[in-house]
Amino acid sequence: MSEVALPQRFRFAAWLERGFGLAFPFIVALVVASIILLAVGQNPVDTFTLMVQESFGSTRRISATLSAATPLLFTGVATAVCFRSGVFNVGVEGAFVIGGLCGAFIGFSLSASFGFSLIPLALLFAAICGALWLYIPGYLLARFDVDEVVSTLMLNFVALGITGYLVNGPLLSEISGNNVTPLVHEAAQLPRLLPPSTLHGGFLIGLVVLAAYGLWSTRTAYGFESALVGLNKRFSRAVGISIPRTIIAVMILSGIVAGIGGASHALGQLHRFADGFSPGYGFTGMAVALLGRNTAVGILLGAILFGALASAGTTVQLFSDIPLDIVNIIEGTVMIFAVVEIGRFALRRRRSK
Amino acid sequence: MIIDQVLAASIALTTPILLAAMGGLVNRQGGIVNIALDAKMLAGAFVAVVVSSATGNWFAAILAAAFVGASVGLVFSLVITRAGANMIVAGLGLNVLVAGVLGFILNWFYDSSGTLRLQDVALLPHIFGDGVKDIPIVGLTLSRLDPLTIFAWLTVLCLPWALANTRAGLRVRATGNAPKVAHAMGISELRVQDGTTMFAGFFSGLAGAHLALASIGLFNEGLTAGRGFIALAAFYFGRDRPVTTALVCLLFGFLDATQIRMQTAGLPPKLIGTIPYLMVLVALCIAGWRNRRTKDQLA
Repeated sequence: MSEVALPQRFRFAAWLERGFGLAFPFIVALVVASIILLAVGQNPVDTFTLMVQESFGSTRRISATLSAATPLLFTGVATAVCFRSGVFNVGVEGAFVIGGLCGAFIGFSLSASFGFSLIPLALLFAAICGALWLYIPGYLLARFDVDEVVSTLMLNFVALGITGYLVNGPLLSEISGNNVTPLVHEAAQLPRLLPPSTLHGGFLIGLVVLAAYGLWSTRTAYGFESALVGLNKRFSRAVGISIPRTIIAVMILSGIVAGIGGASHALGQLHRFADGFSPGYGFTGMAVALLGRNTAVGILLGAILFGALASAGTTVQLFSDIPLDIVNIIEGTVMIFAVVEIGRFALRRRRSK
Repeated sequence: MIIDQVLAASIALTTPILLAAMGGLVNRQGGIVNIALDAKMLAGAFVAVVVSSATGNWFAAILAAAFVGASVGLVFSLVITRAGANMIVAGLGLNVLVAGVLGFILNWFYDSSGTLRLQDVALLPHIFGDGVKDIPIVGLTLSRLDPLTIFAWLTVLCLPWALANTRAGLRVRATGNAPKVAHAMGISELRVQDGTTMFAGFFSGLAGAHLALASIGLFNEGLTAGRGFIALAAFYFGRDRPVTTALVCLLFGFLDATQIRMQTAGLPPKLIGTIPYLMVLVALCIAGWRNRRTKDQLA
């Protein structure tokens, strides 16, 4: 009897632990946000209830949430691909922006007679450019051991500089004024799924990418090997996995996903590229990947959660005067506590005794 | 005339980067890469404006800014050293969190989105006044010299000595370079790291105070404009050596000061703005290439 019950209890405990691991950063973030709300004399419960209503209360609100979650699906996967191999890529933001510009460029510069083939062409070009962009730090890390955190962080600023220059110079739209490229052709725009909301075909592409990531990471040899590199480099080398090749491969994959994400945001949401294209989707994607512990399901939940926060934040500001910045407070706290090792306090206390 | 102005602007624009870079450099020598310098600068700038307006005293303002920077640094450090958080993610998270908190405060208490203008903000004084203005070339720079700039450059002069010869300096370097040795010597690495992160916060707070109080006297959400990351670039490029890093900061300050002039000469400012970051990439590549060559030779 006990022999049968034991593994089950173990599994239950493991699930509980994992669930707690997922919820812990978010709980802390809600506590922090509550303290701030209480400090300014607002009822946190009312605020959070309002936020839930505003993000999931009706079909329209749900589609707004999913629309806000769309770019995060891509940046979350792009981050997770690298993180699980122990490659600390913080350059998803840059690749996303580069992908957005490249996608939009195909969308408005080619002849409209390409018709609907513009969409795959734009996505392909963006994927190639995103991959090339992150190939740089990948190569530098694999070959010269150049710290990827710094190189990708610096490349983010370079990407912003280059795209900022292009949309204010060579690619500036002549008719619509400042800081934007011309609109992409109508055939190149991703269809809206539930008008009047801005939910667009990019969400479906994101789900496909997410599913592909889920299969790749759990069902293929490459996916397994790349996770192994993240878990134990020496062991991986001993069993014949090439670490430099894995590093470059996951960087390229990350660039492809981020590039497609940027292009779908350009083609589906804005229909062009504009200065300030990404309000930090790459960094929120990092929070999503960390919160979801690099699993496909976790990333989906994380992206929807942050999408809900973003879409609710705007309307909560309208209804209750609570500044939109509460969303940043929650996001920052989640990021910080997603990397805190929960068990460590208890462990150390035990050891010292 | 142009040389005077460029020199004065370069020195003024170097100061905040230099202060933050000195803090980050010590932090990195102690083994922590501080990605959150920008957040602490922003917090310092905000507090400096508020305190300066409330007290009318610039010294109280910069002290408060440094204190807040150090406190944020301590919290950040505890999360890393005691709770085992990854320093990069925690740093990026802190940047988001601090921006959120400041935005919230601005919105809620000052009913403003983005900019804080207060009455009677005391600016940093000019030490030599206008009397020295007539000295050729350096006159304008000298007449605008503020205490924080002098403090920053004094730090540059003192740091190499302090890191090489004082007990604290040696402990910091031991902790960063050989944590196990430091541990064996009975140095508490965690405490040293907390100390260096507070030090970095202190200097970043001062950097923020300089940004806000050197000439404009107001706070803006985009005030730092990524200068914390430029400082990071500077001490990476300067390989954690104070004097080299200071020279790199000066170069970045010069680039910043001449941006507008270069723009009129036909060079796009956005592309010029990427130069510091590209320089770091190149420097990292050269360092990596060199390491690899020596390794190959040994093998």
